[in-house]
Amino acid sequence: MSTLAIAKRDFLDVRRAKLVWAPVALYTAFMLLFFWGQSTSSEPDFYAVMWSLLGLGGALVVPLIALVAAYLSIAGERESGRIKFTLGAPVDRSSVIFGKLLARGGVVLVGLVVSFVIGTVAAQILVPDMSFEYGDYAIFIAVTLLYALAYVSVAVAISAATATRSRAMAGGIGFFFLFNIVWNFLPVSPTQMLEFLLNELGRDPANYENLLELVFSISPTGAYLNSTKLFMSDRFLETVGTANAAGDPFYIQGWFMLVILAAWVVVPLALGYWRFGNAELG
Amino acid sequence: MTVHTIWYIKTYPGLVSQSDRMAAIRTDELTKQYGSGDGAILALDGLDLTVEDGEVFGFLGPNGAGKSTTINILLDFIEPTAGHAEVLGHDVRTESKAIRARTGVLPEGAEVFDRLTAREHIQWMADTKDVSADTDGLLETVGIADAADRKAGGFSKGMQQRLALGMALVGDPDLLLLDEPSSGLDPTGMREMRELIREQAESGTTVFFSSHILSEVEAVCDRVAILNAGELMIEDTIENLRDENGGTTSIELDVTSVPNDLDLQSVEGVREMAVSDGTIQAICSTPAAKVDVVRCVDDRTTVTDIIAEDTSLEELFQRYTGHNPKTESHEETATEAPEVTV
Repeated sequence: MSTLAIAKRDFLDVRRAKLVWAPVALYTAFMLLFFWGQSTSSEPDFYAVMWSLLGLGGALVVPLIALVAAYLSIAGERESGRIKFTLGAPVDRSSVIFGKLLARGGVVLVGLVVSFVIGTVAAQILVPDMSFEYGDYAIFIAVTLLYALAYVSVAVAISAATATRSRAMAGGIGFFFLFNIVWNFLPVSPTQMLEFLLNELGRDPANYENLLELVFSISPTGAYLNSTKLFMSDRFLETVGTANAAGDPFYIQGWFMLVILAAWVVVPLALGYWRFGNAELG
Repeated sequence: MTVHTIWYIKTYPGLVSQSDRMAAIRTDELTKQYGSGDGAILALDGLDLTVEDGEVFGFLGPNGAGKSTTINILLDFIEPTAGHAEVLGHDVRTESKAIRARTGVLPEGAEVFDRLTAREHIQWMADTKDVSADTDGLLETVGIADAADRKAGGFSKGMQQRLALGMALVGDPDLLLLDEPSSGLDPTGMREMRELIREQAESGTTVFFSSHILSEVEAVCDRVAILNAGELMIEDTIENLRDENGGTTSIELDVTSVPNDLDLQSVEGVREMAVSDGTIQAICSTPAAKVDVVRCVDDRTTVTDIIAEDTSLEELFQRYTGHNPKTESHEETATEAPEVTV
């Protein structure tokens, strides 16, 4: 009951913040750009659009949408003292965290769904010749929403664990840098460090490909990027060289990426609650 | 042993009535220390406080005395270092939600939610308490009915404070916990706040409010506690405070000429006397002595004016806290408590 009361109030509040919608507009703009890009091609390929959206959204825009929407959710109230209104009411601290997750998650999901609807309509106008794969598109949207929710959960958790705007912001940027850019894109990533280590030990990294793949997928961005087997055609994956071999172990299969993303929803929340539940709100 | 105890309670209810009687708030050796070692700050030092059901209780002290710390513990925002507190019969640590369901809270320096309307604020509080609120009636009560559908971000400090009070009143709580309720209010707002507190008290609500402004407490409270540097200096009714603490009253007489060798100290009940140009001042320990002073002086010279006043509580407040409330600033000030003998 109190979780819903918090969620309702917070949704009313945050949806009126214009800043929250700016990254959503950015995502929509890129989507339109990608569809337009296919319209100039002689053989428009729907999977190329999803591939671009996956890369750009995964690396940058979806985390941005979620972090902007949620990093201040609790820390902002603590800094301003409004948390004393919230907790002066008969509300548990866990309800604050879940309510905030529902509200901020809701705002992000609504934003993304609107964005996808606009993209779908635009595609009919821009590239009427392209064959639109609705089934795969729906799976892609669902996985993207789960990825966004994982980032919202991380942002709410960081916000719950910090008492000021500046620390929450530092935490959000730090997470993004470590578990996204460093983990999946920089040459100092854990996979590369592991490869280096294996080489030093005189082992051939090629024998440990599955393990390396799992390490890559442990970050939410890695899991999102490796979920392609769920919605991309094999034909397209072969052309970009990431087709899955038969007999992959379960922990690098598409469905396991969803498990990893779900863990990124649950674990941060638990840690955030552990910190916020014992916090001194003086 | 257990059997005996039960027998006692059943046979002599009077024996347990003292602890059984409903207290709205009870704290027992409540202590809060921030940090540890040399840098530790003792914000609250063994506070024993009892607020009876239905009374208006003023919690008084300079800024930094530990008032907000106490309220924060009562609402489970912070954990006491030692001691124990109960509100409405519930333990503050284990049954906080039950407490807050029956309590209206006005937090200190309340900032409301900028992007929500006044109506949405009230509605939200009603949602959390699972009651249906008469939103318009409540906003009318606190004097911002015409701003019901405006976003609170545009409200003045005073309007925000009124809205916060409106939220505290949602669901007709049994206890109102008001932290510095008049901050940000203009004199009219402060008067209305006092009237509202009185009305609430008349309807049976217990009101506990903190303040560093003495006149506000004096005007509405049944009892007060004065806190300084984390320690309870006194807990009593306003009348008793006046009577017991010096209980002095002063009288000032304007005279045409000051008679020579006037010795008012020989009049019973006069403690001190001061003479200046055309004015005689006497500090008396009993009100009756004032009459004798007037008679005595009037026999010797012509009295043109009489000014009599009770020792204001402000003097008392100053004595307990080492602060002059008239010049009290909003800075954190925690000084050593002066030696006090009651």
